[in-house]
Amino acid sequence: MISMRRVTKEYPNSVIALQDVDLEIGKGEFVFLVGPSGAGKTTLLRLLFREEVPTSGSVIVNGHDVGRMRPRQIPFLRRQIGVVFQDFRLLPQRNVHENIAFALRVIEAHPREIKRRVAQVLELVGLSDRGHALPAQLSGGEQQRVALARAMVGRPVMLLADEPTGNLDPQNAEDMVRIMLEINRLGTTVVMATHAAHLVNRARQRVVAMEGGMIQRDELAASYHVEVNR
Amino acid sequence: MRLRTWVFCLNEANQNLLRNPVLAIASVTTTAISLLVLGVFLLLTVNVNAIATSVESQVAVRAFFAKNVPQSQETAELQTVRSWSQVRTATLVTKAQALAELKKEFGDQAKVLDSLGTANPLEDSLSVAVQKPQDVKAVATRLSHLSGVVHTTYQSAVVSRLFALINDIRVVGLVIGILLLIGSLLVITNAIRLGMAARRREVAIMRLVGATESLVHWPFILEGLILGGIGAIVASGLAYWSYVAAYHSAVRSLPFLPLVSPSPVARDIALLLLVLGILLGAVGFRISVRRLARV
Repeated sequence: MISMRRVTKEYPNSVIALQDVDLEIGKGEFVFLVGPSGAGKTTLLRLLFREEVPTSGSVIVNGHDVGRMRPRQIPFLRRQIGVVFQDFRLLPQRNVHENIAFALRVIEAHPREIKRRVAQVLELVGLSDRGHALPAQLSGGEQQRVALARAMVGRPVMLLADEPTGNLDPQNAEDMVRIMLEINRLGTTVVMATHAAHLVNRARQRVVAMEGGMIQRDELAASYHVEVNR
Repeated sequence: MRLRTWVFCLNEANQNLLRNPVLAIASVTTTAISLLVLGVFLLLTVNVNAIATSVESQVAVRAFFAKNVPQSQETAELQTVRSWSQVRTATLVTKAQALAELKKEFGDQAKVLDSLGTANPLEDSLSVAVQKPQDVKAVATRLSHLSGVVHTTYQSAVVSRLFALINDIRVVGLVIGILLLIGSLLVITNAIRLGMAARRREVAIMRLVGATESLVHWPFILEGLILGGIGAIVASGLAYWSYVAAYHSAVRSLPFLPLVSPSPVARDIALLLLVLGILLGAVGFRISVRRLARV
Protein backbone atom coordinates (compact mmCIF):
# COMPACT_ATOMS: atom_id res chain seq x y z
CA MET A 1 0.00 0.00 0.00
CA ILE A 2 2.79 2.40 0.97
CA SER A 3 6.38 1.97 -0.05
CA MET A 4 9.01 4.59 0.76
CA ARG A 5 12.57 4.03 -0.46
CA ARG A 6 15.47 6.15 0.73
CA VAL A 7 13.23 9.16 1.02
CA THR A 8 14.80 12.48 1.89
CA LYS A 9 12.84 15.70 2.20
CA GLU A 10 14.65 18.97 2.46
CA TYR A 11 12.65 22.19 2.69
CA PRO A 12 13.74 25.34 0.82
CA ASN A 13 14.99 26.82 4.11
CA SER A 14 17.40 23.81 4.13
CA VAL A 15 15.68 22.13 7.05
CA ILE A 16 15.98 18.39 6.50
CA ALA A 17 12.67 16.93 7.63
CA LEU A 18 13.26 13.36 6.50
CA GLN A 19 16.51 11.59 5.87
CA ASP A 20 16.90 8.30 4.04
CA VAL A 21 13.61 6.89 5.23
CA ASP A 22 12.63 3.36 4.23
CA LEU A 23 9.12 2.29 5.15
CA GLU A 24 6.73 -0.40 3.95
CA ILE A 25 3.10 -0.47 5.04
CA GLY A 26 0.86 -3.25 3.75
CA LYS A 27 -2.80 -3.18 2.88
CA GLY A 28 -5.05 -3.27 5.95
CA GLU A 29 -2.34 -2.38 8.47
CA PHE A 30 -2.76 0.01 11.39
CA VAL A 31 0.40 1.98 12.09
CA PHE A 32 1.18 4.50 14.81
CA LEU A 33 3.78 7.04 13.79
CA VAL A 34 5.29 8.31 17.02
CA GLY A 35 8.05 10.66 18.06
CA PRO A 36 8.61 14.14 19.42
CA SER A 37 7.58 17.30 17.59
CA GLY A 38 9.85 17.93 14.63
CA ALA A 39 10.63 14.25 14.19
CA GLY A 40 9.25 14.28 10.63
CA LYS A 41 5.86 12.59 11.21
CA THR A 42 3.82 15.35 9.58
CA THR A 43 6.19 15.60 6.61
CA LEU A 44 5.97 11.86 6.10
CA LEU A 45 2.17 12.01 6.04
CA ARG A 46 2.18 15.04 3.72
CA LEU A 47 4.32 13.09 1.25
CA LEU A 48 1.74 10.31 1.23
CA PHE A 49 -1.12 12.53 0.04
CA ARG A 50 1.15 14.53 -2.24
CA GLU A 51 1.02 17.77 -0.31
CA GLU A 52 4.82 17.59 -0.59
CA VAL A 53 7.16 15.89 -3.04
CA PRO A 54 10.29 14.06 -1.88
CA THR A 55 13.64 15.74 -2.53
CA SER A 56 15.04 12.32 -3.36
CA GLY A 57 13.96 8.70 -3.12
CA SER A 58 10.62 7.24 -4.14
CA VAL A 59 7.21 7.28 -2.49
CA ILE A 60 4.71 4.80 -3.89
CA VAL A 61 1.15 5.06 -2.59
CA ASN A 62 -1.40 2.53 -3.78
CA GLY A 63 0.58 2.10 -7.00
CA HIS A 64 1.12 5.81 -7.66
CA ASP A 65 4.64 7.22 -7.75
CA VAL A 66 3.92 10.38 -5.77
CA GLY A 67 7.15 12.17 -6.71
CA ARG A 68 6.61 11.75 -10.45
CA MET A 69 2.89 12.26 -10.50
CA ARG A 70 1.51 14.90 -12.88
CA PRO A 71 -0.50 17.64 -11.17
CA ARG A 72 -3.72 16.63 -12.89
CA GLN A 73 -3.48 13.15 -11.40
CA ILE A 74 -3.24 14.40 -7.82
CA PRO A 75 -7.02 14.66 -7.24
CA PHE A 76 -7.44 11.03 -8.19
CA LEU A 77 -4.75 9.94 -5.68
CA ARG A 78 -6.44 11.99 -2.99
CA ARG A 79 -9.81 10.38 -3.61
CA GLN A 80 -8.20 7.14 -2.40
CA ILE A 81 -6.92 8.72 0.79
CA GLY A 82 -8.80 10.16 3.76
CA VAL A 83 -6.98 12.73 5.87
CA VAL A 84 -7.72 14.00 9.39
CA PHE A 85 -5.86 16.84 11.11
CA GLN A 86 -5.46 18.01 14.68
CA ASP A 87 -7.50 21.17 13.96
CA PHE A 88 -10.54 19.42 12.38
CA ARG A 89 -10.76 21.86 9.41
CA LEU A 90 -14.53 21.95 9.17
CA LEU A 91 -16.46 24.66 7.31
CA PRO A 92 -18.05 26.79 10.04
CA GLN A 93 -21.08 28.01 8.03
CA ARG A 94 -22.13 24.52 7.01
CA ASN A 95 -23.80 21.96 9.20
CA VAL A 96 -22.46 18.48 9.88
CA HIS A 97 -24.31 16.88 7.00
CA GLU A 98 -23.18 19.55 4.52
CA ASN A 99 -19.58 19.38 5.71
CA ILE A 100 -19.46 15.68 5.00
CA ALA A 101 -21.47 15.88 1.77
CA PHE A 102 -19.08 18.61 0.54
CA ALA A 103 -16.36 15.97 0.06
CA LEU A 104 -18.63 13.97 -2.25
CA ARG A 105 -20.14 16.95 -4.05
CA VAL A 106 -16.76 18.16 -5.25
CA ILE A 107 -16.00 14.76 -6.74
CA GLU A 108 -19.37 14.90 -8.53
CA ALA A 109 -21.10 12.04 -6.73
CA HIS A 110 -24.79 11.44 -7.36
CA PRO A 111 -27.08 13.19 -4.82
CA ARG A 112 -28.78 9.94 -3.87
CA GLU A 113 -25.40 8.31 -3.31
CA ILE A 114 -24.30 11.32 -1.21
CA LYS A 115 -27.35 11.05 1.02
CA ARG A 116 -26.86 7.33 1.56
CA ARG A 117 -23.14 7.50 2.26
CA VAL A 118 -23.34 10.50 4.57
CA ALA A 119 -25.91 8.63 6.65
CA GLN A 120 -23.57 5.60 6.77
CA VAL A 121 -20.49 7.49 7.96
CA LEU A 122 -22.50 9.49 10.47
CA GLU A 123 -23.56 6.19 11.97
CA LEU A 124 -19.97 4.92 11.87
CA VAL A 125 -18.76 7.88 13.95
CA GLY A 126 -21.86 7.86 16.17
CA LEU A 127 -23.30 11.23 15.15
CA SER A 128 -26.45 10.16 13.33
CA ASP A 129 -28.58 12.56 15.37
CA ARG A 130 -26.29 15.62 14.90
CA GLY A 131 -26.54 16.05 11.12
CA HIS A 132 -28.10 19.50 11.31
CA ALA A 133 -25.78 20.93 13.97
CA LEU A 134 -23.21 23.54 13.04
CA PRO A 135 -19.57 22.80 13.98
CA ALA A 136 -19.65 25.53 16.65
CA GLN A 137 -22.50 23.67 18.39
CA LEU A 138 -20.40 20.50 18.73
CA SER A 139 -17.76 19.48 21.27
CA GLY A 140 -14.17 19.06 20.09
CA GLY A 141 -14.56 15.29 20.10
CA GLU A 142 -17.70 15.51 17.98
CA GLN A 143 -16.06 17.93 15.56
CA GLN A 144 -13.16 15.56 15.08
CA ARG A 145 -15.56 12.72 14.43
CA VAL A 146 -17.24 14.85 11.75
CA ALA A 147 -13.81 15.41 10.20
CA LEU A 148 -13.23 11.65 10.36
CA ALA A 149 -16.60 11.03 8.72
CA ARG A 150 -15.71 13.47 5.94
CA ALA A 151 -12.38 11.68 5.43
CA MET A 152 -14.14 8.32 5.21
CA VAL A 153 -17.22 9.23 3.16
CA GLY A 154 -15.39 8.76 -0.13
CA ARG A 155 -14.46 5.19 0.95
CA PRO A 156 -10.70 5.69 0.78
CA VAL A 157 -8.37 2.72 0.90
CA MET A 158 -6.18 4.58 3.33
CA LEU A 159 -6.76 6.91 6.28
CA LEU A 160 -4.01 9.31 7.36
CA ALA A 161 -4.41 11.08 10.70
CA ASP A 162 -2.02 13.78 11.88
CA GLU A 163 -2.30 14.17 15.65
CA PRO A 164 -6.07 13.64 15.50
CA THR A 165 -6.35 13.55 19.28
CA GLY A 166 -4.10 16.52 19.96
CA ASN A 167 -7.00 18.83 20.80
CA LEU A 168 -9.17 16.25 22.54
CA ASP A 169 -9.69 15.27 26.16
CA PRO A 170 -8.63 11.72 27.11
CA GLN A 171 -12.13 10.23 26.78
CA ASN A 172 -12.71 11.70 23.33
CA ALA A 173 -9.19 10.73 22.29
CA GLU A 174 -9.88 7.12 23.24
CA ASP A 175 -13.19 7.16 21.37
CA MET A 176 -11.40 8.51 18.33
CA VAL A 177 -8.81 5.72 18.35
CA ARG A 178 -11.55 3.16 18.92
CA ILE A 179 -13.41 4.39 15.81
CA MET A 180 -10.20 4.38 13.79
CA LEU A 181 -9.48 0.80 14.85
CA GLU A 182 -13.01 -0.08 13.75
CA ILE A 183 -12.38 1.59 10.38
CA ASN A 184 -9.17 -0.43 10.09
CA ARG A 185 -11.02 -3.62 10.95
CA LEU A 186 -13.35 -2.90 8.01
CA GLY A 187 -10.31 -3.00 5.72
CA THR A 188 -8.90 0.51 5.49
CA THR A 189 -5.17 1.01 6.00
CA VAL A 190 -4.63 3.53 8.82
CA VAL A 191 -1.55 5.62 9.58
CA MET A 192 -1.85 7.80 12.66
CA ALA A 193 0.82 10.23 13.81
CA THR A 194 0.66 10.94 17.53
CA HIS A 195 2.66 11.49 20.67
CA ALA A 196 -0.06 10.29 22.99
CA ALA A 197 1.77 7.34 24.53
CA HIS A 198 -1.19 5.96 26.49
CA LEU A 199 -3.30 5.60 23.32
CA VAL A 200 -0.50 3.78 21.52
CA ASN A 201 0.20 1.49 24.40
CA ARG A 202 -3.41 0.46 24.83
CA ALA A 203 -4.04 -0.27 21.11
CA ARG A 204 -1.11 -2.73 20.68
CA GLN A 205 -0.53 -2.03 17.02
CA ARG A 206 2.55 -1.57 14.84
CA VAL A 207 4.60 1.42 16.02
CA VAL A 208 7.06 3.33 13.86
CA ALA A 209 9.12 5.65 16.05
CA MET A 210 10.81 8.63 14.43
CA GLU A 211 13.37 11.12 15.58
CA GLY A 212 15.34 13.77 13.72
CA GLY A 213 13.84 12.80 10.37
CA MET A 214 14.85 9.15 10.69
CA ILE A 215 13.09 5.96 11.72
CA GLN A 216 14.48 4.76 15.03
CA ARG A 217 12.30 1.76 15.68
CA ASP A 218 9.62 -0.22 13.86
CA GLU A 219 7.86 -2.92 15.90
CA LEU A 220 4.62 -4.87 15.68
CA ALA A 221 2.14 -4.86 18.57
CA ALA A 222 4.43 -2.47 20.33
CA SER A 223 4.31 0.33 22.84
CA TYR A 224 5.65 3.85 23.03
CA HIS A 225 7.55 5.19 25.99
CA VAL A 226 8.21 8.86 26.14
CA GLU A 227 11.66 9.46 27.59
CA VAL A 228 11.58 11.28 30.89
CA ASN A 229 14.05 13.93 29.79
CA ARG A 230 11.74 15.20 27.03
CA MET B 1 -18.78 18.69 -15.67
CA ARG B 2 -22.26 17.51 -14.84
CA LEU B 3 -25.21 19.86 -14.54
CA ARG B 4 -25.37 19.44 -10.75
CA THR B 5 -21.69 20.34 -10.55
CA TRP B 6 -22.40 23.56 -12.47
CA VAL B 7 -25.20 24.25 -10.02
CA PHE B 8 -22.78 23.61 -7.16
CA CYS B 9 -20.19 26.00 -8.64
CA LEU B 10 -22.82 28.65 -9.28
CA ASN B 11 -23.98 28.35 -5.68
CA GLU B 12 -20.44 28.76 -4.40
CA ALA B 13 -19.96 31.81 -6.64
CA ASN B 14 -23.21 33.31 -5.38
CA GLN B 15 -22.22 32.77 -1.77
CA ASN B 16 -19.03 34.71 -2.44
CA LEU B 17 -20.95 37.58 -3.96
CA LEU B 18 -23.45 37.65 -1.12
CA ARG B 19 -20.69 37.50 1.47
CA ASN B 20 -19.28 40.75 0.14
CA PRO B 21 -22.19 42.67 -1.40
CA VAL B 22 -20.55 46.11 -1.26
CA LEU B 23 -17.62 44.95 -3.34
CA ALA B 24 -19.94 43.14 -5.73
CA ILE B 25 -21.96 46.31 -6.23
CA ALA B 26 -18.76 48.32 -6.69
CA SER B 27 -17.55 45.89 -9.35
CA VAL B 28 -20.82 45.92 -11.21
CA THR B 29 -21.07 49.72 -11.04
CA THR B 30 -17.55 50.43 -12.25
CA THR B 31 -17.90 47.90 -15.03
CA ALA B 32 -21.22 49.39 -16.08
CA ILE B 33 -19.89 52.95 -16.04
CA SER B 34 -16.74 52.19 -17.98
CA LEU B 35 -18.59 50.15 -20.59
CA LEU B 36 -21.27 52.82 -20.86
CA VAL B 37 -18.68 55.53 -21.49
CA LEU B 38 -17.04 53.34 -24.08
CA GLY B 39 -20.41 52.69 -25.70
CA VAL B 40 -21.34 56.37 -25.77
CA PHE B 41 -18.06 57.24 -27.46
CA LEU B 42 -18.50 54.45 -29.96
CA LEU B 43 -21.99 55.67 -30.84
CA LEU B 44 -20.70 59.22 -31.10
CA THR B 45 -17.90 58.15 -33.43
CA VAL B 46 -20.25 56.15 -35.61
CA ASN B 47 -22.58 59.11 -35.95
CA VAL B 48 -20.00 61.79 -36.58
CA ASN B 49 -18.54 59.40 -39.13
CA ALA B 50 -21.90 59.11 -40.83
CA ILE B 51 -22.34 62.87 -40.87
CA ALA B 52 -18.88 63.32 -42.35
CA THR B 53 -19.48 60.69 -45.00
CA SER B 54 -22.72 62.29 -46.01
CA VAL B 55 -21.11 65.72 -46.15
CA GLU B 56 -18.23 64.31 -48.15
CA SER B 57 -20.59 62.82 -50.69
CA GLN B 58 -22.01 66.30 -51.04
CA VAL B 59 -18.61 67.78 -51.75
CA ALA B 60 -19.64 69.35 -54.80
CA VAL B 61 -18.54 72.58 -56.19
CA ARG B 62 -21.49 74.85 -56.82
CA ALA B 63 -21.24 77.56 -59.42
CA PHE B 64 -24.07 80.07 -59.20
CA PHE B 65 -25.27 81.98 -62.24
CA ALA B 66 -26.32 85.57 -62.26
CA LYS B 67 -30.11 86.06 -62.33
CA ASN B 68 -30.22 87.30 -65.92
CA VAL B 69 -28.29 84.46 -67.58
CA PRO B 70 -30.48 82.69 -70.15
CA GLN B 71 -31.13 78.96 -69.82
CA SER B 72 -29.45 78.24 -73.17
CA GLN B 73 -26.16 79.73 -71.99
CA GLU B 74 -26.37 77.71 -68.78
CA THR B 75 -26.82 74.52 -70.77
CA ALA B 76 -23.87 75.38 -72.99
CA GLU B 77 -21.65 75.97 -69.94
CA LEU B 78 -22.83 72.65 -68.52
CA GLN B 79 -21.60 70.87 -71.66
CA THR B 80 -18.21 72.63 -71.38
CA VAL B 81 -17.82 71.65 -67.73
CA ARG B 82 -18.74 68.05 -68.46
CA SER B 83 -15.87 67.87 -70.94
CA TRP B 84 -13.26 68.74 -68.26
CA SER B 85 -11.17 65.71 -67.22
CA GLN B 86 -11.27 66.55 -63.49
CA VAL B 87 -15.06 66.44 -63.44
CA ARG B 88 -16.95 63.30 -62.57
CA THR B 89 -20.51 64.57 -62.97
CA ALA B 90 -22.08 67.90 -63.55
CA THR B 91 -25.75 68.83 -63.40
CA LEU B 92 -27.75 71.94 -63.82
CA VAL B 93 -29.85 72.76 -60.75
CA THR B 94 -32.59 75.24 -61.49
CA LYS B 95 -33.73 77.54 -58.73
CA ALA B 96 -37.04 75.69 -58.54
CA GLN B 97 -35.23 72.39 -57.95
CA ALA B 98 -32.99 74.04 -55.38
CA LEU B 99 -36.00 75.26 -53.40
CA ALA B 100 -37.61 71.83 -53.52
CA GLU B 101 -34.42 70.26 -52.17
CA LEU B 102 -34.21 72.77 -49.40
CA LYS B 103 -37.79 72.01 -48.39
CA LYS B 104 -36.97 68.31 -48.28
CA GLU B 105 -33.95 68.91 -46.03
CA PHE B 106 -36.02 70.97 -43.62
CA GLY B 107 -38.56 68.17 -43.33
CA ASP B 108 -41.18 68.99 -40.69
CA GLN B 109 -39.94 72.53 -40.45
CA ALA B 110 -40.36 73.30 -44.15
CA LYS B 111 -43.13 75.69 -43.12
CA VAL B 112 -40.42 78.24 -42.42
CA LEU B 113 -40.00 78.50 -46.17
CA ASP B 114 -43.68 79.15 -46.73
CA SER B 115 -43.13 82.73 -45.66
CA LEU B 116 -41.32 83.22 -48.97
CA GLY B 117 -44.62 82.92 -50.74
CA THR B 118 -44.10 82.58 -54.46
CA ALA B 119 -40.76 84.39 -54.45
CA ASN B 120 -37.65 82.27 -54.95
CA PRO B 121 -34.47 84.00 -53.81
CA LEU B 122 -32.28 81.16 -55.06
CA GLU B 123 -30.26 81.08 -58.24
CA ASP B 124 -29.68 78.54 -60.94
CA SER B 125 -26.41 76.71 -60.41
CA LEU B 126 -24.14 74.02 -61.71
CA SER B 127 -23.52 71.21 -59.25
CA VAL B 128 -20.18 69.65 -60.07
CA ALA B 129 -18.66 66.52 -58.47
CA VAL B 130 -14.94 66.12 -59.03
CA GLN B 131 -12.92 62.96 -59.68
CA LYS B 132 -10.51 63.58 -56.82
CA PRO B 133 -11.13 65.70 -53.70
CA GLN B 134 -7.83 67.56 -54.19
CA ASP B 135 -9.12 68.90 -57.55
CA VAL B 136 -11.91 70.79 -55.82
CA LYS B 137 -10.04 74.05 -55.62
CA ALA B 138 -8.82 74.01 -59.23
CA VAL B 139 -12.26 73.17 -60.57
CA ALA B 140 -13.81 75.91 -58.46
CA THR B 141 -11.36 78.43 -59.91
CA ARG B 142 -12.08 77.31 -63.47
CA LEU B 143 -15.81 77.50 -62.82
CA SER B 144 -15.54 81.04 -61.49
CA HIS B 145 -14.03 82.12 -64.81
CA LEU B 146 -17.03 80.91 -66.80
CA SER B 147 -19.16 83.69 -68.17
CA GLY B 148 -22.36 84.28 -66.23
CA VAL B 149 -21.05 82.67 -63.04
CA VAL B 150 -21.13 85.05 -60.09
CA HIS B 151 -19.70 82.92 -57.33
CA THR B 152 -18.64 79.40 -56.45
CA THR B 153 -18.70 77.46 -53.17
CA TYR B 154 -17.29 74.18 -51.97
CA GLN B 155 -17.30 72.45 -48.60
CA SER B 156 -13.85 70.92 -48.27
CA ALA B 157 -12.90 72.96 -45.21
CA VAL B 158 -16.00 71.74 -43.38
CA VAL B 159 -15.18 68.16 -44.25
CA SER B 160 -11.57 68.29 -43.13
CA ARG B 161 -12.63 69.89 -39.85
CA LEU B 162 -15.23 67.19 -39.34
CA PHE B 163 -12.69 64.45 -39.89
CA ALA B 164 -10.34 66.07 -37.41
CA LEU B 165 -13.20 66.15 -34.91
CA ILE B 166 -13.95 62.46 -35.46
CA ASN B 167 -10.34 61.61 -34.81
CA ASP B 168 -10.33 63.63 -31.60
CA ILE B 169 -13.51 61.99 -30.40
CA ARG B 170 -12.11 58.58 -31.25
CA VAL B 171 -8.84 59.14 -29.38
CA VAL B 172 -10.47 60.71 -26.33
CA GLY B 173 -13.12 58.01 -26.19
CA LEU B 174 -10.60 55.23 -26.56
CA VAL B 175 -8.27 56.63 -23.89
CA ILE B 176 -11.05 57.26 -21.38
CA GLY B 177 -12.66 53.93 -22.19
CA ILE B 178 -9.42 52.00 -21.74
CA LEU B 179 -8.60 53.74 -18.47
CA LEU B 180 -12.06 52.97 -17.15
CA LEU B 181 -11.82 49.37 -18.33
CA ILE B 182 -8.52 48.99 -16.47
CA GLY B 183 -10.18 50.45 -13.39
CA SER B 184 -13.09 48.07 -13.51
CA LEU B 185 -10.74 45.18 -14.21
CA LEU B 186 -8.87 46.01 -11.01
CA VAL B 187 -12.09 46.16 -9.01
CA ILE B 188 -13.30 42.83 -10.40
CA THR B 189 -9.90 41.25 -9.77
CA ASN B 190 -9.99 42.54 -6.23
CA ALA B 191 -13.46 41.10 -5.67
CA ILE B 192 -12.36 37.71 -6.94
CA ARG B 193 -9.22 37.78 -4.80
CA LEU B 194 -11.18 38.62 -1.70
CA GLY B 195 -13.46 35.72 -2.52
CA MET B 196 -10.42 33.47 -2.78
CA ALA B 197 -9.12 34.66 0.58
CA ALA B 198 -12.54 34.20 2.17
CA ARG B 199 -12.84 30.70 0.74
CA ARG B 200 -9.33 29.58 1.64
CA ARG B 201 -10.66 26.77 3.84
CA GLU B 202 -13.14 25.53 1.26
CA VAL B 203 -10.47 25.48 -1.41
CA ALA B 204 -8.01 23.64 0.84
CA ILE B 205 -10.66 21.05 1.71
CA MET B 206 -11.74 20.69 -1.91
CA ARG B 207 -8.18 19.89 -2.88
CA LEU B 208 -7.73 17.58 0.10
CA VAL B 209 -10.71 15.44 -0.82
CA GLY B 210 -9.72 15.23 -4.49
CA ALA B 211 -11.57 17.98 -6.33
CA THR B 212 -10.05 18.67 -9.73
CA GLU B 213 -8.45 22.06 -10.27
CA SER B 214 -11.14 23.05 -12.76
CA LEU B 215 -13.78 22.47 -10.11
CA VAL B 216 -11.75 24.57 -7.68
CA HIS B 217 -11.52 27.35 -10.28
CA TRP B 218 -15.03 27.43 -11.70
CA PRO B 219 -16.79 29.17 -8.80
CA PHE B 220 -14.32 32.04 -9.13
CA ILE B 221 -14.59 32.14 -12.93
CA LEU B 222 -18.37 32.28 -12.59
CA GLU B 223 -18.02 35.02 -9.99
CA GLY B 224 -16.01 37.09 -12.47
CA LEU B 225 -18.45 36.36 -15.28
CA ILE B 226 -21.42 37.32 -13.12
CA LEU B 227 -19.81 40.60 -12.02
CA GLY B 228 -18.67 41.53 -15.53
CA GLY B 229 -21.87 40.25 -17.10
CA ILE B 230 -24.28 42.18 -14.88
CA GLY B 231 -22.22 45.34 -15.36
CA ALA B 232 -22.31 44.76 -19.11
CA ILE B 233 -26.05 44.12 -19.19
CA VAL B 234 -26.67 47.37 -17.31
CA ALA B 235 -24.29 49.29 -19.59
CA SER B 236 -25.56 47.86 -22.86
CA GLY B 237 -29.18 48.31 -21.78
CA LEU B 238 -28.57 51.94 -20.87
CA ALA B 239 -26.56 52.57 -24.04
CA TYR B 240 -29.21 51.01 -26.25
CA TRP B 241 -32.19 52.63 -24.59
CA SER B 242 -30.67 56.09 -24.39
CA TYR B 243 -29.47 55.95 -27.99
CA VAL B 244 -32.90 55.00 -29.25
CA ALA B 245 -34.41 57.86 -27.21
CA ALA B 246 -31.75 60.37 -28.34
CA TYR B 247 -32.11 59.27 -31.94
CA HIS B 248 -35.84 59.75 -32.02
CA SER B 249 -35.76 63.17 -30.43
CA ALA B 250 -32.90 64.23 -32.75
CA VAL B 251 -34.75 63.05 -35.83
CA ARG B 252 -37.69 65.21 -34.77
CA SER B 253 -35.75 68.38 -34.00
CA LEU B 254 -32.73 68.14 -36.33
CA PRO B 255 -34.08 66.22 -39.34
CA PHE B 256 -31.24 67.25 -41.65
CA LEU B 257 -28.61 65.43 -39.52
CA PRO B 258 -27.86 62.06 -41.15
CA LEU B 259 -27.81 60.07 -37.86
CA VAL B 260 -27.33 56.31 -37.85
CA SER B 261 -30.58 54.47 -37.23
CA PRO B 262 -30.41 52.53 -33.92
CA SER B 263 -31.71 49.21 -35.15
CA PRO B 264 -28.40 47.71 -36.31
CA VAL B 265 -25.79 49.91 -34.64
CA ALA B 266 -27.10 50.25 -31.08
CA ARG B 267 -27.75 46.54 -30.93
CA ASP B 268 -24.26 45.74 -32.22
CA ILE B 269 -22.66 48.08 -29.72
CA ALA B 270 -24.80 46.66 -26.90
CA LEU B 271 -23.60 43.19 -27.89
CA LEU B 272 -20.01 44.38 -28.02
CA LEU B 273 -20.32 45.84 -24.52
CA LEU B 274 -21.76 42.56 -23.29
CA VAL B 275 -18.85 40.61 -24.72
CA LEU B 276 -16.37 43.11 -23.27
CA GLY B 277 -17.96 42.86 -19.81
CA ILE B 278 -17.80 39.08 -19.82
CA LEU B 279 -14.21 39.31 -21.05
CA LEU B 280 -13.41 41.63 -18.13
CA GLY B 281 -14.69 38.98 -15.73
CA ALA B 282 -12.67 36.26 -17.38
CA VAL B 283 -9.48 38.34 -17.46
CA GLY B 284 -10.07 39.31 -13.82
CA PHE B 285 -10.09 35.63 -12.97
CA ARG B 286 -6.92 34.97 -15.00
CA ILE B 287 -5.10 37.67 -13.07
CA SER B 288 -6.26 36.31 -9.72
CA VAL B 289 -5.66 32.66 -10.40
CA ARG B 290 -2.05 32.75 -9.27
CA ARG B 291 -3.33 33.79 -5.87
CA LEU B 292 -5.46 30.66 -5.82
CA ALA B 293 -2.45 28.41 -6.45
CA ARG B 294 -0.93 29.64 -3.20
CA VAL B 295 -4.02 29.02 -1.07
